[in-house]
Amino acid sequence: MNQTPRARHWRLLALLAAILVFAVACGDSDEDSTDTTAAAADTDDTGDSGCDHEPIVAAFVYIGPVGDAGWTKKHDDGRLSLEEALGDCVETQYLENIPEGADSVATFDRLAREGTDVIFGTSFGYMEPMLEVAANYPDVKFEHATGYKQADNMSNYFGAAEEARYLSGMAAGSMTESNTIGYVAAFPIPEVLRGINAFALGAQRVNPDVVVEVVWTSTWFDPVVEKEAAESLLNGGADVIAQHQDTPSAGEAAENAGGYWVGYNDDMSRFAPDAWLTAPVWDWGPYYVAVVESIADGSWSSQSYYGTMADGLVTLADVSDKVSQDVRDDIANVQGEIIAGSFTPFDGPVNDQDGNAKVAEGEKPDLGTLLGMDYLVEGVIGNAAG
Amino acid sequence: MSFRLERRLEVHWWNQALTPVLSILAALAFGAVFLLFEGFNPFTVYKALFEASFTSKFGITDSLTVAVPLILTGLAAAVVFRMGLFNIGAEGQLYLGAIFAAWAGIAIADNLPTVLGVTVVLIAGAIGGALWALPAAYFKAYFGTSEIISTLMLTFIALFLMRYLIFGSHSYWRDPESATFPQGRKIPETARFELWGNTRLHWGLLVAIAIAAAVWVLIKYTSIGYDMNVVGSAPESARYAGISVRRTIMLAILLSGALGGLAGATEVAGRSFSLDPNGLELGLGFTGIVVASLARYNPWAVILVATFLGGLRNAGVALQSLPGERVPVEVSLMLQGAILLFAIGGEVFARYSLSYSRSGKVVAA
Repeated sequence: MNQTPRARHWRLLALLAAILVFAVACGDSDEDSTDTTAAAADTDDTGDSGCDHEPIVAAFVYIGPVGDAGWTKKHDDGRLSLEEALGDCVETQYLENIPEGADSVATFDRLAREGTDVIFGTSFGYMEPMLEVAANYPDVKFEHATGYKQADNMSNYFGAAEEARYLSGMAAGSMTESNTIGYVAAFPIPEVLRGINAFALGAQRVNPDVVVEVVWTSTWFDPVVEKEAAESLLNGGADVIAQHQDTPSAGEAAENAGGYWVGYNDDMSRFAPDAWLTAPVWDWGPYYVAVVESIADGSWSSQSYYGTMADGLVTLADVSDKVSQDVRDDIANVQGEIIAGSFTPFDGPVNDQDGNAKVAEGEKPDLGTLLGMDYLVEGVIGNAAG
Repeated sequence: MSFRLERRLEVHWWNQALTPVLSILAALAFGAVFLLFEGFNPFTVYKALFEASFTSKFGITDSLTVAVPLILTGLAAAVVFRMGLFNIGAEGQLYLGAIFAAWAGIAIADNLPTVLGVTVVLIAGAIGGALWALPAAYFKAYFGTSEIISTLMLTFIALFLMRYLIFGSHSYWRDPESATFPQGRKIPETARFELWGNTRLHWGLLVAIAIAAAVWVLIKYTSIGYDMNVVGSAPESARYAGISVRRTIMLAILLSGALGGLAGATEVAGRSFSLDPNGLELGLGFTGIVVASLARYNPWAVILVATFLGGLRNAGVALQSLPGERVPVEVSLMLQGAILLFAIGGEVFARYSLSYSRSGKVVAA
């Protein structure tokens, strides 16, 4: 307490430096804001040609930056293909790095007030905020990805990533030599558990001895945490890494350790070419086009959409030729069965970690059961509660 | 050749008022360089920023909504910083305030009338924040442990505690109905601030302003405030005068913690209506430090600065939707950082003058 005021100022400066470090460490750690140069592509109204109705104004609200190379990028690819498909009949804009929770309410409010026709929100945590705002703006359509609540003017949409997860698991199962695959998982929720389980079942199909070790990061977008999680799995003996989060950082860890990597969301091979095997990939464009077209012709109604590989919403990235031709053929065959509907990843028998039968021999679980999945399958090491 | 700072003998009142304004202008000029570099017209951007946050009805109410917690965290920093005590943990105290407030809302407020329900929630929040500041206050007062370190570390613990309560466990705070994703249990209507019309602004604004007034009265007109002033400016004299320095330090840091906790409570009662880590991890506590230093620790000025920074924060989103001029959200965050930096710099130059000598010999400033 007996320092000079001047010493205090230096102390103040030092602590501010500490705060900045903390803020950077704790913040959204957006690696890049460089992708905002894509701004030019955002609004190229080239005139009033080509559309027989007022353009539909569509806004996209993203949890991460469009430069995340994963989840958000794929939604933005969908937005761009929407623009390409509908030309002057649609005007789009996007808002990135919008935190979930109460803070996003102001964003949805603003968009709804400013004459947007349809608002797409692509993170789970937007569900309650969108529901709340939707109630105040009955003329605006709300489309929420990954949630489960609906309103008269709010739909939800998602898809069967587990189909592609299963196939990517086959690739991973064929490549592991230690028979240990690491899975960098996001949050212990049904969507993620479904992904882990489908992946493990696919891996076990080609390699019955395989175990899948799960580490939870409690993040969707935190390159540093996700990389560290992957490193801990690799240090623990895993030689293949799979992931759920939005960034390719787990792949960088696999690349550095000389392991293999199954990505997510997009073909991320350029980030870790030596480690890359394949990835479940989203293609949102056709859905976005369908929604906007239905608004334009007045046929839009609130729905719960769950797209599949057969619909093309979910696909598998090209499987690397590091995977043997036999396995690749096998994957292609199973993919054909999935698309034809003769096989699903959770065809019984499926047992949980304790050996309890969850799906009986010869049974197929219905969608409701899949959407509420709360267990991990046999051969997975980890805690389904996080 | 050397520079050195010399203390000004007196700091004029106009200097006091001018410095924050100049700091903000300097920060805007600094930001303009980056905007130009990125190919934006700074005037267009700043005009849009101002219009988005301060000219329309919804713009103003949105800015004020964010100002509510910022006023309280600004006060939290102001009451201790002016004594040379740096509680930089308002962020963590806010989380604890939110945890206590959400608990009180769920557990107690259900059967109470709204006025009482909200009051219980606010008091619980203040207690939570004060308790979280208690270890830092105690170790500072009795062992001289740096409160900067302790409050910062406690912030990390609070952060992970809050996440654990929602994401990591089936705690009392977690909504048992939400099977697919962990989220907080909603507090009942009787624990919530009423919203103003179809805006998001809530009665927490009046609470925050009333608290600012109370803090001003406390500092200016009470013996506790007097003790705090003396301990802050001349601890030795305080001791001679029979003021308990330890007790005063304890009180000040606890008060600061309570204000931080109150900020968490108003967020729960007015915006998130549950313990919502995603909605609370916004750096509101840290921004409070910026608010306090720009406001020169004056409670009334805190209200103004909080509104200004609340608008800046809101505008970040609006700037992204500028037609043809998409400005990244980082710009408004960077401006905030720049304003902080220039505010501190301005603070130094308001109190000191820079002198310069070629040969190491000091030239009069």
